[in-house]
Amino acid sequence: MSVATASGYLESLLQGRAQLPISPLAWLNRLRAEAVERVGALRVPTTHDEDWRFTDISSLTKLPFQPVHAASPLQTAEAERFYLEPATIRLVFVDGMYAPQLSTQVPGAAGDSGIVVTHLSAAVSAHATTLESHLGRHAEFCNNAFTALNTAFLHDGALIIVPRDVAVDMPVHLLFIATQKEAASYPRCLLIAESGSAVTVIEDYVALQQGVYVTNAVTEIALADNAHVNHIRVQRDSGQAFHIADCAVSLARASRYQSTSIALGARISRYNLNVQLAGEGAECAVDGLALITERQLADTHTCIDHIKPHGSSRQLHKCIVDGAAHAVFNGKIMVRPGAQLTDSVQSSRNLLLSGRAHVDTKPQLEIFADDVKCAHGATVGQLDSEEVFYLKSRGLSEMTARNLLTYAFGAEIIERIPVSSLRHRLKQTVLEHTQRN
Amino acid sequence: MIYPDSKSLLEVRGLRATVNGIEILKGIDLTVRSGEVHAIMGTNGSGKSTFAKVLAGHTAYEVTGGTVLFEGKNLFELAPEERARAGVFLAFQYPIEIPGVANNQFLRLTYNTVQTQRGKDELDPLEFDDFVREKMKMLEMSPDFLDRSVNAGFSGGEKKRNEILQMALLEPRLAILDETDSGLDIDALRIVANGVNQLATRDNATILVTHYQRLLNYIVPDYVHVMESGRIIKTGGKQLALELESHGYDWVSSEQRAAAGA
Amino acid sequence: MSAVLQNLVNQPYKHGFVTEIESDVAPKGLSENTIRMISAKKNEPEWLLEFRLKAYQQWLTMEEPQWPNVKYPKIDFQAISYYSAPKPRKKLGSMDEVDPELLRTFEKLGVPMHERAALAGVAVDVIFDSVSVATTYKQKLAEVGIIFGSISEAVHTHPDLVKQYLGTVVPVGDNFYATLNSAVFTDGSFCFIPKGVKCPMDLSTYFRINTEASGQFERTLIIAEEGASVSYLEGCTAPRFDTNQLHAAVVELVALDNADIKYSTVQNWYAGDENGVGGIFNFVTKRGLAKGVNSRISWTQVETGSAITWKYPSCVLQGDNSVGEFYSVAVTNHHQQADTGTKMIHIGKNTRSTIVSKGISAGHSNNSYRGLVRIAPTAAGARNYSQCDSMLVGDQCSASTFPYIQVRNNSAIVEHEASTSKIGEDQLFYFAQRGIGGEEAVSMIINGFCKDVFQQLPMEFAVEATKLLGLKLEGSVG
Repeated sequence: MSVATASGYLESLLQGRAQLPISPLAWLNRLRAEAVERVGALRVPTTHDEDWRFTDISSLTKLPFQPVHAASPLQTAEAERFYLEPATIRLVFVDGMYAPQLSTQVPGAAGDSGIVVTHLSAAVSAHATTLESHLGRHAEFCNNAFTALNTAFLHDGALIIVPRDVAVDMPVHLLFIATQKEAASYPRCLLIAESGSAVTVIEDYVALQQGVYVTNAVTEIALADNAHVNHIRVQRDSGQAFHIADCAVSLARASRYQSTSIALGARISRYNLNVQLAGEGAECAVDGLALITERQLADTHTCIDHIKPHGSSRQLHKCIVDGAAHAVFNGKIMVRPGAQLTDSVQSSRNLLLSGRAHVDTKPQLEIFADDVKCAHGATVGQLDSEEVFYLKSRGLSEMTARNLLTYAFGAEIIERIPVSSLRHRLKQTVLEHTQRN
Repeated sequence: MIYPDSKSLLEVRGLRATVNGIEILKGIDLTVRSGEVHAIMGTNGSGKSTFAKVLAGHTAYEVTGGTVLFEGKNLFELAPEERARAGVFLAFQYPIEIPGVANNQFLRLTYNTVQTQRGKDELDPLEFDDFVREKMKMLEMSPDFLDRSVNAGFSGGEKKRNEILQMALLEPRLAILDETDSGLDIDALRIVANGVNQLATRDNATILVTHYQRLLNYIVPDYVHVMESGRIIKTGGKQLALELESHGYDWVSSEQRAAAGA
Repeated sequence: MSAVLQNLVNQPYKHGFVTEIESDVAPKGLSENTIRMISAKKNEPEWLLEFRLKAYQQWLTMEEPQWPNVKYPKIDFQAISYYSAPKPRKKLGSMDEVDPELLRTFEKLGVPMHERAALAGVAVDVIFDSVSVATTYKQKLAEVGIIFGSISEAVHTHPDLVKQYLGTVVPVGDNFYATLNSAVFTDGSFCFIPKGVKCPMDLSTYFRINTEASGQFERTLIIAEEGASVSYLEGCTAPRFDTNQLHAAVVELVALDNADIKYSTVQNWYAGDENGVGGIFNFVTKRGLAKGVNSRISWTQVETGSAITWKYPSCVLQGDNSVGEFYSVAVTNHHQQADTGTKMIHIGKNTRSTIVSKGISAGHSNNSYRGLVRIAPTAAGARNYSQCDSMLVGDQCSASTFPYIQVRNNSAIVEHEASTSKIGEDQLFYFAQRGIGGEEAVSMIINGFCKDVFQQLPMEFAVEATKLLGLKLEGSVG
C-alpha cells in the first residue's frame, strides 16, 4: 500500500466530522483542529513501522467506515444482558453515542460524596477548567494516527471525577455497545482520581451482533497523590471487528494503578497502554490476557515509564492462542535517569494450543539509572506435559486435563478482577473456550 | 571477661555522626579493653547499628565530632579496608549478596589479604580448603557453602553463620556483631553463640549490638550499655539486660528522666 | 558514583600505536573502478569479480539501517580507502621473511607467532590492514587435509570450494554492510576441515587495522564437513586515531552433518578517547549455518573495543537436532555504544539454542542486547533458553534489552530471562570490611558476573579476556 493512498484513506475518514457540533469551548475546538492537522500529516501504519511490525492492518482500509449520527433505538431488554450485578454506576454508549435511557444516575450515598460520572458534553460547563487541564493532555496524538483520529472526532464520551479522599464502593461500568455494521465509533473516556481517592472502573466493549465495524477508543486516566485506581478493560467486540485503542495513564506521588485488560473479541485488535510513573513512589500492576482463536490477531503494546525514584511496577501478560490466531505482545519498561530504586518485574507467558497458532513477544528493558532492580522473562510453549501427566494419573482424561490446565492458565489473570460477577462471567468464557476442543 | 591489667583497645569520646544531614549519634563515650564483651542494647532507631557502621567506616555516615582511638591510633584516618586489616571486624546485620563470586574464592582472598598484612604467609587453595573446612565444623556448616556465591540465596541463618565463619578466619582484635541474633531460630542462635564464645580470647574484644536479651543467655557480656536517641544513657553489668527484658526499654528512659528531674 | 569506581573505569588503550611500515594504499572512494582495481590487484577469477559487482549494484540501492540503538554521524563512503596492504619486500616464503617491523608489531600485541605459536600450540593467520601477511602451521595442518590460510589465496588454490560456499550463509544482498563487504572485501581467513577430521589445534586469526582512513572489510569462511570439528579464535586491535574507521566484516560458517564449529572472538578495536573522539565503527555480520543433522555452531564473544559495535553472530539451525550457542560479554565505557546480540533461527526438528549475554556499561556508554529467537513452523520440538544480564557501573550509562521472540510452532518451548544489577556501594563496603580494596572487589564482581561466558573460551583466550576486562575497568590491577 502506498503512503499516498493510505493518507488519503485517513482523510476520507475525516469526512464524518462535518456533522460534529462546534463546542462552546474554544480550547476544545483548537485541540480538534490540531488533531485534524496531525491526521493529515500521518499515514496508516504498515508492517515496516517497528511499532506495527507484526500487525498488518491494511485490511482496515478496504472499507470507508463512517460514524453513525442517529442513535440506535436500543431497548433495555437488548442491552440488559451486558449489565453487571450487583449494582454498578453505569454509563452506556451505543455506537459511540451516549444512551441516557440505558445509563444510571449516581445513587444517593455515592452522589453525596461529590463523585461525577457523566458524559462529556453534559460536563463542559460545570467542569470546563478540569477538562481543559486533562482532556487530550495525556494521550499523545502527535505520532499516533488513530489517537489523532479519535481526538479529531472528540465530542462526547465518559467522564469520571472522584473527589479528594473519596473512595467509591460501587464499581463504575462504562459499557460500549456496537450495533451497526460498517460503522466507526470513537469512544473517549476521561478518569480523574483526585488525591487520596479510590475507584474501580470497568471499560467494557461488546457487540449486539456479528459484523464488521471499527472501534477506535482513547482513554485518559490521571491519578493524583495517593489515589488508587483499579481499571478493568474487557474487549469482547464482534469477531469480524477492528478494535484499536489507546490508554494513557499518569501517576502522581505514591498513587497506585492496577490494570487488568482482557482481549477476547475482534478480528484485529490493538491496545496501547502507556503508564507514566511521574511521581515518587508510584506503583502499578499491569496485567493482561488475550484469548483468541480462528484468524484473530490480538496485539498489546504497553509502556511502563519510570520517571521518579522508588517506583514499582509488576506486569504479567498472558496469551492463549488457538486456531490460526496470532498474538503480539510488546512490553517496554523504561527507567529514566533519576528513577533510582525502581523495582520492576515483567513477565510474558504464552500458550500455543494449535499447530497454526503463533506468537510474537518482545519484552524490553531500557534502563538509564543504576540503582534499580529490573527483571523480565518470557516463555512460549505448550501445556507442561508433567502437569498433564499428573492429572491423568489421577484419572482425568487427556482432554479434561488439558482443558483444566488451559483454564487455570487464563484464570490466573481473571482472578485479579475485583468485581465478582464480571470475574464469574469471564471465567465462564474461558471455560467455554477451552471446552470447545 | 574483665582482666584487671588489660590494655585499652577502643576509646570512643564524644562521637557524633550524621546521615544525609540528620544527626544520629549525639555524643557517645565508650571504652573497650581487651578480653571484654560489651553489649549495646536499644530500640530500633536508637543509633546502635549506626554506631557499628561508623566504627567500620561506612561511607554513608559523616562523623561530625569526637574521637575514636583503636589501639591508640586514630581510627578515622584509616579507610574501611585498612580498619579491617588492622583488626576491626563488623558482622553485618544484613550480609550483602554477591552473585557470581564463589564463597571459597572470597574467603581465601580476605584471609590471605589480612594474613599478608600481618606479615604471615598466604595459604594456597588446597591448604586453605583444609583450614576453612576445620573452621566450618565449629559452626556446623556444610562444605556446600564453599561452592555457592557469597550469601546469594542463603537463608538468614546461613548468612549469619557465614559472617561468623569470616570472623573465625580473620581473627579480629575487635569484633562488632550487629544484630547477629536477628532472624535466627534457637538452634542457629546456639551455634552462632558457641562460635563467638570459642573465638573470644584475652587479646580480643567483642561488641554485641542487639535489641533482645536472648543472645546474652549464650554470650555473657561483661558490660551492658543502653542506647537511646544516639547516646548511651545507662551502663551496667549483665543483670541490666535481664531487667530490660522484664521492664522494657521505657523503664530505663523514665528512670533516666526521673534522675534528670531530681 | 564513588571515587573508587570512577578511577577504575578510566584506563588507557594499550594497542594504540601505529606501525611505521610502507603501505600500498588505494585512493579514497568507491566506484565500480575501485572494485575492478581490488579484484585486479588480487588477480581474481572472473566469477569473483562478478560476485563483487553484483553486490555493488545492489548496495547502491540500499539504505543504512536505522533501527539499532546507536547514534553516529553519517558515514561518507567516498572518504574511505578500500585497500591498504603492507608492501612486501619480496614474495614471502616463510615466516622468517615477514617484515621484522610487522613481527615486532604482533609481538607487542602479544600475538603468538613463530616459536611462541609453537609453545601455545595455536595456528595463526595474521591480517594486517586488508591482507593476510602470514600463516603458521600450514604444513602440519595440510597433512590431515585441513586448509587454513587467507581467503585470497584459497580463491586460487581451492576455487571450487570458495565458489561453492561463498555467500551461501550471508547472501550478497543480506544487509547494507554485508553487501558493501561482498563488493569490496580484501582478505580474511579461509578454513576447511574435511570429513571426519577433528582439527588438532585451535586456529586463530589476528586482525589489525593500521592505516588511518582505511576501512577493513575482511571475509572469513569456515567449512566443517561431515563429522569434522574445529575451534577458531579471532582477535582484533587497531591504533589510536582521532577519526573513525569502518570495519565491516562478514563471517560465514557452514557445519555439515555431525560437524562442530566453535568460534571465539576477543574484540578490542580502538574505542575512541574518553570524550568519544575516534574509534572503530564495528559493523559486522557473522552467521553460521548448522546445515547438517546433529551439527553444532557455537559463538563466544568478548567485546570490549570499538566506538560502536553492531553485530549479531547468528545461527541458522537447519539440520534436525542441530545446536546453536551464543555466549557474549560486552563491556562499554566512556562514550562507547554497543548494540549486539544474536539470532537463533530454528528450522529443523528438535533444534536447540542457548543464549547467555552479559552486558556491562560504565561511564556515559550505552549497551544494548538485541536478540531474535524464531521458531519456524517446521521446527517441531525446538527449544531455546536465553539469559541476558546487565550490570551498570555509575549512573550516567544505560542498558537496554530487546529480545524478539517469534514462535510459529506449538511444540516449541522458548524461555527468556533478563535482569539488571549494579556494582553498589554496599557491595564495595562489604569487601572493604573484609580487607579487600575497591579495585580488587570490582574485578572479582565482574569476573563472577561473566563467569558463564569465560568458561566457554579456550584457555588462551580466557586469560586474555580476563586481562582485557581488567584493563578496561580496574585501574592499576593486573
